[in-house]
Amino acid sequence: MKPHPAWSSLRNPVKFRIPTADNLVPIRLDIDIDGQRFRDTFTWNPSDPDSDVILFAKRTVKDLKLPPAFVTQIAQSIQSQLTEFRSFEGQDMYTGEKIVPIKLDLRVNHTLIKDQFLWDLNNFESDPEEFARIFCEDLGVEDPEVGPAIAFAIREQLCEIAIQSVASAKETRINKKGRRGAEHLPLSKPGGSALDTLKLFGNKSSVIRKRREWDLYEPIVDMLSNEEVDALEAREA
Amino acid sequence: MATSSGGGATPLKPPAQPPKSIPELTPTSQNQKLQPLELSPNPITPPNLTSAPPIPTADSKQPTTPATVNSRPREPDFDVIHVPSYSRWFSWNDIHECEVRILPEFFDGKSPSKTPKVYKYYRNAIVKRFRDSIIENPPSKENPMPKITFTEARKSIIGDVGSVRKVFDFLEAWGLVNYFGSPLTKAQLKWEDKESKNVSAASQQNSDNGGANSVGDASVPKKKFCSSCNSLCTIACFSNIKKDTTFCARCYVRAGVNSADFKRVEISEEVKTDWTEKETLHLLEAVMHYGDDWKKVSEHVVGRSEKECVDRFIKLPFGEQFTGPPDSIEPEENVHKAMDRFDIESNPSKKMRLTPFDDASNPILAQAAFLSTLAGVEVAETAASAAVKALTEVNIETSKEILESSAGDARDHDSVTTNGKSNTNLLEGAYLEAKLQLEKEEQDLERTISDIAEVQAKNIHDKIVRFEELELQMEREWQQLRQMQNLLFADQLTLLFHKKDGNESMEQKVKTELS
Repeated sequence: MKPHPAWSSLRNPVKFRIPTADNLVPIRLDIDIDGQRFRDTFTWNPSDPDSDVILFAKRTVKDLKLPPAFVTQIAQSIQSQLTEFRSFEGQDMYTGEKIVPIKLDLRVNHTLIKDQFLWDLNNFESDPEEFARIFCEDLGVEDPEVGPAIAFAIREQLCEIAIQSVASAKETRINKKGRRGAEHLPLSKPGGSALDTLKLFGNKSSVIRKRREWDLYEPIVDMLSNEEVDALEAREA
Repeated sequence: MATSSGGGATPLKPPAQPPKSIPELTPTSQNQKLQPLELSPNPITPPNLTSAPPIPTADSKQPTTPATVNSRPREPDFDVIHVPSYSRWFSWNDIHECEVRILPEFFDGKSPSKTPKVYKYYRNAIVKRFRDSIIENPPSKENPMPKITFTEARKSIIGDVGSVRKVFDFLEAWGLVNYFGSPLTKAQLKWEDKESKNVSAASQQNSDNGGANSVGDASVPKKKFCSSCNSLCTIACFSNIKKDTTFCARCYVRAGVNSADFKRVEISEEVKTDWTEKETLHLLEAVMHYGDDWKKVSEHVVGRSEKECVDRFIKLPFGEQFTGPPDSIEPEENVHKAMDRFDIESNPSKKMRLTPFDDASNPILAQAAFLSTLAGVEVAETAASAAVKALTEVNIETSKEILESSAGDARDHDSVTTNGKSNTNLLEGAYLEAKLQLEKEEQDLERTISDIAEVQAKNIHDKIVRFEELELQMEREWQQLRQMQNLLFADQLTLLFHKKDGNESMEQKVKTELS
């Protein structure tokens, strides 16, 4: 039913959505009231009713025993991110031959994760949660909070890229109206990574990664001690 | 594995003493197994589910009450997980039907991210997280109820937080997480215990305010939130003055309330609003008519709210009989079945319940009721079923005969319909009606076909008529032509004659001129 990937190349617009199996929105919260900082990241289902936002905010504030002023702030932040996502929703985006590099660089409690890998944007069946789960299993990560954080990071990046492609789709449309034959230029920008892959998977080179690139793509999982954690937190705040 | 939940009750229902040894054996292996597997569900036997063991108190008798956990004095067992008995169905690998019912969004396939597998993953992850946290910080004196908050749980679960919250609320409402067996702290002072439990139940339920789903099933005990319903209390005569808690009347059926407390409640309810026989009769009539529509039932029963009707209904010993299709039960069968149930119940209030049918205007019914009470239970049952069988057979035969005899006659149809309906056998009536419809259809078909044939015939007839007219015209023209031919011929003849005459006269003239 879906157009063949080779065909849905640069010309064929697809409705905007996060290129994953479930259309979840990554939400990042970073609220600071009276010196109390609340930072959190999670995924939200945009088809959930908006009443859930308030419920969630209340529940979170109650669970973490935060001052009640946080409730409205949290709810507002979630709502604004949701509406932003929804504003993109009706529009088209181009997904060409897009295999994009995703970089993970996060610290969750005592675990530090650094990784880089390639992700296929055309694969609408992809599942960052599954990836995160397997990642934690394979690398023996014990902290259960790491999994969701990884999934979230992947989702966030995918979301950004999807938004970018929507913007580029708009550009091309405007350009088309203006002058013809200008299709190539704007498309090359988002397709920048695609060109790389064409080079990579072109005729000459093989599919196997070159040896010197192995280090780049190897995941690193570090356990930090308490002092290092404190130091990093101080730097971030 | 699935057996452990269902059979979990049985091995843990020993006579009084051994339970302490059993729990202590298994958790040691449990502890080792639980730690390395953080997120994936534990396929091995789950930690103990101690459902309500046989308690000397009387709460286990009442079928509709959620008999909560033991009120026996117990030492703090760190390695035992308490689960209320109404959540006994829980098992790691299976999804119970009440879960499907309460959280349908995961099972209707509408959203790709909400599948049963995902639901199971969320649920098992949350429960495991809770149990791990219990093991890590067991309930102690300072913190008798170390609960796990939703935020903690969802941080460790990969998925969208709305769904996780719903699953969490559900689990909390059913006591699968954040539930602690009642007398962890004090066991001797009954009233105080119940107070603390009530308070904890109230706080849990209040916290479930946001997320608790409403279930209309009165027979399934659930921990629903009870808002402070001061107004309702007076009407439903639920008074919990001793406790200082404001529970509405709903909770006495559903909440995790202890046995003695519950008893008191029920008595007080009965005392204040006694169901008279008339009201019970009204109730039964209403239920027969309206089935499940409790609004109409409550209207029919003057002065009783929906809930009271439902409560009363399920308490009646034959309550379940009427949940089926009320139309299909004949009054006789009704009585028979009802009487069976009466006999089964060895209730001292049986006499009271017989009265609705004794009051019935039909003396035959009363006689039948009386007779069936005289005969034994099994006798009455078999007699009733035999009677039902015979009746239905007779019905089928008579209706078939009637159908065969009628050959599309309208009057016959009417009689059949009236006959069919008087038999009050829904199936037969439907069968007859279907046949009727078929015949009607056939007739219609025939009629339309004959109409079409007529029209065609008319067409042809008209064409023939026209042709005839044409022919007539043709003939006339032929005649005219012939006439004209004749005239022409005649003209030609005269011309010839004239010619001849003329010639002759010419010859004579020439002759005379010559001579």
